[in-house]
Amino acid sequence: MSTGHKHDGDHHDHDHEHPAAPMVEEITDYEVLEIAVRELAIEHGLFTAEDHRRFTEWAESIGPINGSRLVAKAWKDPAFKALVLEDGVKACKEGLGLDWAEPTGFGTPSDYTNFIVLEDTPTLHHVIVCTLCSCYPRPILGMSPEWYRTTNYRRRLVRWPREVLAEFGLILPPEVEIRVEDSNQKCRFMVLPVQPKGTENWTEEQLAAIVTRDCMIGVALPRPGRTADVHPIHKARRPVQASAQHGSAAE
Amino acid sequence: MKAKSEAPKASHAATRFKVGDRVRVRNMPNMFYTRTQSYVRGVIGTIAACTYKDLIPEEDAFNYDGKVEQYYIVRFRQKDLWEEYPFDNDTLQTESPEHWLEPV
Repeated sequence: MSTGHKHDGDHHDHDHEHPAAPMVEEITDYEVLEIAVRELAIEHGLFTAEDHRRFTEWAESIGPINGSRLVAKAWKDPAFKALVLEDGVKACKEGLGLDWAEPTGFGTPSDYTNFIVLEDTPTLHHVIVCTLCSCYPRPILGMSPEWYRTTNYRRRLVRWPREVLAEFGLILPPEVEIRVEDSNQKCRFMVLPVQPKGTENWTEEQLAAIVTRDCMIGVALPRPGRTADVHPIHKARRPVQASAQHGSAAE
Repeated sequence: MKAKSEAPKASHAATRFKVGDRVRVRNMPNMFYTRTQSYVRGVIGTIAACTYKDLIPEEDAFNYDGKVEQYYIVRFRQKDLWEEYPFDNDTLQTESPEHWLEPV
């Protein structure tokens, strides 16, 4: 028997072929429930399968661009900033034409219509999490990033925020108060970061480009020159050779 | 349930707490659905905002149109939540319906 395959305390005989583990797609009880309810609704004519697909396509295509616009507009216009901080839902409607009540008249079932924008200052930094599930301001930022929904981020951010932020590459001095916002009920939150120095004369469009999704969750700070469409590339130190050459060299 | 008879009917009563009030999160048994995290139970914080009135999670979760209550954002010092927390200034906020809070 191969020595690299030793199970301590496991008495079963290894002198046989291991059958390949079947490829089973993992599905949770909630996914089963969702499919059952959806199929029932379609069967009863509440909506069609195509309606469902179109809604899903629309919901998943909302990106963070409206959030970026909201921040840029607030930076440029103090009166609008005051409205953003006073009534986030109203600011979205008046400043961006974004209606939190869409598409049902009372929002989507788990987004609600209570939106609070948290203002950072040079001595206060906000960061958002939902320890219960994945509450996120979807109407304005779109779907949350995959890591935002992981238990790892959710359980650790409330307890070790500085360590978690450092893992995102954000290290803040102890004088800056870090305020974690655990979004556990019906309010949805977004961060209004501090406008970075050197951007005072930028246009709204230029400013919006540096307010990326992560800046509005609070795991990053906006910086001139750092936009969502340009990402760092680190070339491999030992690039893979063309496979034919590599194969013949090895033999 | 005791909590139920104690909690004021917010739709008829004035808001119990105001911004700046010190409150303790109650530690009630998890008999039904709740959205009150265990890590804030029994901890003292400060009301940071009065947000909205809505159904309470214990009833909303079962689609029961029951009591409507005032919700609050409560601010805690991280040092009060986690004994070993090393930074004095850091805080955490979370939201709670009225019946989970008691005056200090």
